Amino acid sequence: MLVLVLALALGVTLGLLTDIGVPPSMLTYAGVAVLAALDSCISGVRSSLEETFTDRAFVFGFITNTLMAGFIVFIGDRIGVKELYLAAVVAFGVRVFDNLGVVRSIMFRRRGWE
Amino acid sequence: MSKPLHRPTLVVVIGILGFMLAVAFNTNTRLHGAQPDRASDLATVVHNMEAQRGDLEVRLADLRDQVAELEEVAASEQGIRDTFTNEIEAARLAAGLTGIEGPGVQVVLGDGSDVAPGTDPNLYLIHDSDIAAVVNALFVGGAEAIDVNGERVVATTPIRCAGTTVLVNAKRLGGPYTVSAVGNSDALYDAVISDPAAGLLFESYRAQFGLDVSVIKLSEVEVSAYRGSFRPTYAVQAEDGDA
Repeated sequence: MLVLVLALALGVTLGLLTDIGVPPSMLTYAGVAVLAALDSCISGVRSSLEETFTDRAFVFGFITNTLMAGFIVFIGDRIGVKELYLAAVVAFGVRVFDNLGVVRSIMFRRRGWE
Repeated sequence: MSKPLHRPTLVVVIGILGFMLAVAFNTNTRLHGAQPDRASDLATVVHNMEAQRGDLEVRLADLRDQVAELEEVAASEQGIRDTFTNEIEAARLAAGLTGIEGPGVQVVLGDGSDVAPGTDPNLYLIHDSDIAAVVNALFVGGAEAIDVNGERVVATTPIRCAGTTVLVNAKRLGGPYTVSAVGNSDALYDAVISDPAAGLLFESYRAQFGLDVSVIKLSEVEVSAYRGSFRPTYAVQAEDGDA
């Protein structure tokens, strides 16, 4: 777990140091993509804990989630329903909390806290 | 710390997630970082405008001072203009271009009615010379304005015969003729009655030919303004002006 936190911290630090940004108009894309990535990672952690983790499924899920999120925002922009990105936000948000709940319960069980 | 979590892909992807988070964060920070700039821009704008307002207020004060100065000048010019206006008014009055009212006399000159057989009918009529005599008598009496049937007598007014009518200012007039004059009514009355030419109308001629003539003193007489044109062809103002 510590390794994952460190990896996260390293990525954040790297990103902040390089100070890379996207154009302001792309901020929604970036945000939804981040949310998709977060969802993928949490579900990756969950599947790891459930011993169902495969590299291929994880990486593929990560990429497709992120791209699909961006695509939904794009479609929303195109068809004049800018709020369509909320669909992705809600979907990923719900999944994040779902997976987080599962991860939490698994880890609690492993540590004998329950 | 359970072992399955140390999968390299998971670690790498979570690192990527962190990077993405940072990128989004950077973008957002820039976006919001821009807002204080905009606010400071606005503050600058406000400061500039306040400075401008200050300048403009100073300028306004200057302009108000200028207006006050110009008003003073205008006031003095107004005086000059008033003088001119008064002169013009006086000139118009003297030239007969304005209607006049004041005390005076009204002289009515009507033809005689009953022409005696065998006599010259011309004797029973009012002639241009009669009117001219009356007008002249009135001027002698100090008349300041005279009209004949509403035709103002000015410096160039001819009074002449035109068949059965009389021309005054080239206007054809028919009897009875009303000559209105503004001036001292007593003086005018006396002047007309005692005039060698005009006086006869009101005494012997009236009695003899039954002329319908009268002289009335009035406290209020109206004299018309000269309505004709005034286009001198030969008259040129003398070089030294008042000559």
